[in-house]
Amino acid sequence: MTDFNLVEWRFERRLDPRPAARIVALAVAAAAAALVCSLLFIAAGASPRAAFAALLQGSFGSLRAAGETLVKATPLIFTGLAACVAFRARIWNIGAEGQVFAGAMFAYWLQHNLTGFPPFVQIPVVIAGGIVGGALYAGLAGVLKTRFSVDEVISTVMLNYIIVYVLSLLLLRGPWSEAGGFFEQTPKVDPDSALPLLFSGSRLHFGFLLAIVTAGLVQMLLTRTPLGYEIKAAGSNIRALEVQGTNTRRLILVVLLVSGALAGLAGITEVYGVHYRLKAGAITGYGYSGIIVAILGQLHPVGVVVASVLFGALLNGATLMQIKTSVPSALIYAIQAILLLFFLAGWAACNFRLRRVARA
Amino acid sequence: MSKIPRLSVRHLTKRFAALVANDDISLDVMPGELHCLLGENGAGKSTLSSCLYGLYQPDAGEIRVDGKTVQLRSPGEAIRAGIGMVHQHFVLVPGFTVVENVAVGTGSGWRLGRAEALSRIEAICSTYGISLNPHQFVGDLSVGEQQWVEIVKALYTGARLLILDEPTAVLTPEESRRLFAIVRRLTGEDLSIVLISHKMAEVMQSDQVSVLRKGRLVGTVVTSQVSRDQLTTMMVGRSVAAPTRAGDAKAHGETVLSVRGLTQLRDRRPVLDNASLDIAAGEIVGIAGVSGNGQDELFECLAGLAHPDGGKILLDGETLQAYSPATIAAKGVGYVPSDRFRDGLVADLDIGENLVLGQQWQARWRKGPFIDAAALDANARTAISAYSIAATGPSAPSRKLSGGNAQKVILAREFAKATRLLLCNQPTRGLDIGAIEFVHRQLLRKRDEGCAILLASEELDDLFALSRRIGVMFRGRILAVLDTKKATYDEIGSLMAGHRSEAAA
Repeated sequence: MTDFNLVEWRFERRLDPRPAARIVALAVAAAAAALVCSLLFIAAGASPRAAFAALLQGSFGSLRAAGETLVKATPLIFTGLAACVAFRARIWNIGAEGQVFAGAMFAYWLQHNLTGFPPFVQIPVVIAGGIVGGALYAGLAGVLKTRFSVDEVISTVMLNYIIVYVLSLLLLRGPWSEAGGFFEQTPKVDPDSALPLLFSGSRLHFGFLLAIVTAGLVQMLLTRTPLGYEIKAAGSNIRALEVQGTNTRRLILVVLLVSGALAGLAGITEVYGVHYRLKAGAITGYGYSGIIVAILGQLHPVGVVVASVLFGALLNGATLMQIKTSVPSALIYAIQAILLLFFLAGWAACNFRLRRVARA
Repeated sequence: MSKIPRLSVRHLTKRFAALVANDDISLDVMPGELHCLLGENGAGKSTLSSCLYGLYQPDAGEIRVDGKTVQLRSPGEAIRAGIGMVHQHFVLVPGFTVVENVAVGTGSGWRLGRAEALSRIEAICSTYGISLNPHQFVGDLSVGEQQWVEIVKALYTGARLLILDEPTAVLTPEESRRLFAIVRRLTGEDLSIVLISHKMAEVMQSDQVSVLRKGRLVGTVVTSQVSRDQLTTMMVGRSVAAPTRAGDAKAHGETVLSVRGLTQLRDRRPVLDNASLDIAAGEIVGIAGVSGNGQDELFECLAGLAHPDGGKILLDGETLQAYSPATIAAKGVGYVPSDRFRDGLVADLDIGENLVLGQQWQARWRKGPFIDAAALDANARTAISAYSIAATGPSAPSRKLSGGNAQKVILAREFAKATRLLLCNQPTRGLDIGAIEFVHRQLLRKRDEGCAILLASEELDDLFALSRRIGVMFRGRILAVLDTKKATYDEIGSLMAGHRSEAAA
């Protein structure tokens, strides 16, 4: 009567994914990403083996290369943490890009008036400037959201555009432009304001140390403090938090301030740790990459550090890959995107399983 | 029996991962039969009806309609097989007329044959004694009338078996009586009805009852041959004592809460209309009313979630100046919201964390800048044992709690907070009998401790059993506050429908 003999496969939601399944999914995702990347390398006319070898050598092949990888990872750790704090509370701060600019600009504005002061005055001012500048700019989106119900996705993206052009204006003809200079950039900053280098023979600077310590502090904030508790609760059910007497407007504002402060630090590590001058090229792109890093790191501070180092390695290794093989270094951005997509697919797959069921 | 059953379910099994929601269920519904599905929450009633309506596909078993095996892969196929369903939440377009709501999307194709639809709807209405004006907008109809539209819609598509999912949850007692009159006309015309309910008064009106417990069919019985108590015992697996008020042992004390002329407007229409009420220490005051008549707004104003547009609230004789949940909670007020998973719990926090929700900055839960995990843990252990919360421990995730256990977590938190006043909006909604019993005992205990309690419930039985006085709400007004000892069900029922009685004056 009925065709019970027929069998079909059906996806079902797993109620509680096992940790082992997660590890398997991650491994499969990594292998699949490597496979697709290999195809890209072949398409670019290089052997995948040589390209991967060059990537690895360029990123971790020597102490100097490894140091450079960590230099590249530093701003990503900060912007990744910025996204991590906000996204956990389900506040979609897409404005880390603009907050990086704001941090760098505010720090420069404070510091360039202090030229000549000793490092123990200038460096703390630079760090505080980065924190305050980023926080204020994110706070603007926070005020728009809590006072006027402006969606933070829209406001933060728009604020990104505004500040990029404000900086351009200040550098082009404005008071910050380098006297007699041709490029849109400030003059070199006072060497006494620069973040100190950690080792000789490497560009690795104090900012990396600051990033690692900050990651630890953020982890502590999220897991052990009342604010972390509120962030977790807001990410799950902000309405219940409000019903039980928490001022959620203030919470949203505080989360954005913290998130912006973290992003602002990325601005000063690049200006005062790597380029020693303020220019758009020094600080562009980290805000958006930070979102990818945060998602790859599963919105966990330790995961953010690991993902940042991975991305730093890709960026850093790309140069050697381009020299040794014919693969253009820009392909690295495609690789980053492929990694993200496969890992997201892997995590999504963890929550499902395939089951044989009777019935046509 | 010689007749072919209208619906015949054979060995139906439905699993969700490890959970067996329906385990080998077999039952028959004859033409013209009113068949009740009775069971506690989570017993598998909804899963079974979803399988019958094609929303879920059973993993094993067979469904036959009029002797023919059917495969119900979607509601569309169920409708074609002659099965109709009236959901608890109606799926109607308020801006459409009755005719449009019935005819659109119910097999009329691209063209809407209004005249033909109209005559068919009028025929259905007159056959079954349903009085509806087909040209009225659905948004202007009462809740009871909207339900009739749903029934007409199902009949319009040719349903011979109608599933009614807790149809009286949103109705006044009078509307319920009229619904059952219609149901009887339907069965008289050989239609079969599957009624899902846990209200005993309705269940007793059916022809047969199938009792489900934990996914299994306990048995199908002829209703006239069993008593309420027997059914309850079948449903719960043990006998349950009816709630008793246990006397108003303690004399009630001074007035704790005074509500004076409370008014709240939405779109310039009052949702709370000049409502006044007093509650004394050690007194439970019940709020009766069909849901949506201002109960939620009253509670939200009292809990500080909404700002009243007029009137005032006095706590211990002091007028509240600042309306915010935090300032009101600080005055010793606990609030048990009606939607516990939306307003009461954070699913991603564990039980220990949920027990201090809103108090996360208080010094007693902190150790310097950090949350005192040990204090939370100790607090949770006490609550878990005092409220017998079924959980593995303080760090058990709240996400997996059943409705009853989730409510116990909320009660533990709010009872601890409520030193003066406890606001309980539908605290037993959706709970099974065991959990309801527990909530009642806790409310009485709290009352005996001298707490003033405002209790809203859709179950008049509960209000009569627990409260000293009952206020009835209708369209934002508190029509009357009656002494429970002198009030009758009929009196309260007619006030719920908006009729002022002499006794109310």
